[in-house]
Amino acid sequence: MTDMPSSADASKRGTDPDIDPSEDARLRNLLRGALDAAPEESPDVLRGVQRKLRERSGGKFYADGWSTTRYAPISTFFVTSLMMLSFMVFIYFVIHPLSGSPEMVKSVPTPVQVVPSR
Amino acid sequence: MVTMPLDESTERRFVERLQKHDERAFNELVEAYSPRVYRLVARMLGRREDAEDMAQEVFVQIFKGIGQFRGDSKLGTWIYRVAINLCKNRSKYLSRRQDDKQDALDAVADRQPLHQAKGVTSGQINRPDHMVEGMQIEAIMRKCIAELDPDFREALILRDVENLSYEEIIDITGVAEGTVKSRIHRARALLKQRVALALGEPLP
Repeated sequence: MTDMPSSADASKRGTDPDIDPSEDARLRNLLRGALDAAPEESPDVLRGVQRKLRERSGGKFYADGWSTTRYAPISTFFVTSLMMLSFMVFIYFVIHPLSGSPEMVKSVPTPVQVVPSR
Repeated sequence: MVTMPLDESTERRFVERLQKHDERAFNELVEAYSPRVYRLVARMLGRREDAEDMAQEVFVQIFKGIGQFRGDSKLGTWIYRVAINLCKNRSKYLSRRQDDKQDALDAVADRQPLHQAKGVTSGQINRPDHMVEGMQIEAIMRKCIAELDPDFREALILRDVENLSYEEIIDITGVAEGTVKSRIHRARALLKQRVALALGEPLP
């Protein structure tokens, strides 16, 4: 596939057949120069998108703080689970001494009474 | 984190996640495509102040419309199509409202000769700096591109700036190959004519 249509094709489509291909190349270079220089850095689009979706969905999407983060908050998950575990261990050591130990109960079997039949 | 482009099966799985409105998948999509989408819309609109808002709008529309994506084309092509269509609608709206304000650079690129520009001394005029000249030509180019018909501008930017193949342009615009080529050819000719007119001489 050629970049530049032939003169015959161009005239068939009613376009200007007199354009010099080398001039087109110069034009392309100028075009790239003009437009490539335009946007240097893309801004933070994600935050704006999340905000718009949250507002327009009435809070259905991106409503919580977790889903709007860029990466999964692994460290937060880890710290939370460690805190829960320490809390459970603490509770165990507080409750365990209070519970005491089970008392032995002597079980004496009741003598069997035989009732005579009438 | 996804890196684009994806192979076919990975893209299919990724699209499935998007269609379930998986917010984390959508974050990855925006992260991966937003720089290209932002550059494209900035070039199409020619107004940087609108480009960020328009880029956000593109992804909002993608989030809403991802259920309609059937996988007939690549995800990237479909995103480009959404971006191009939104830009064309915005351009048409702006041209109807005649709200096409020029930025500071465009003012420099006005047709007035350099010696009439404020703050430029005659000494500077007699020895024009090549850089200033280059900037002036670039500004004229940007102004002339902004004045092109949106269909012509779209074809020219996709082909000559974004470096897309004809097949990709056909996929994005949905018009026939002959029309795409004709638009590119006519856009170049028009642009060349207008730039030459603005400069008062043929292209350097």
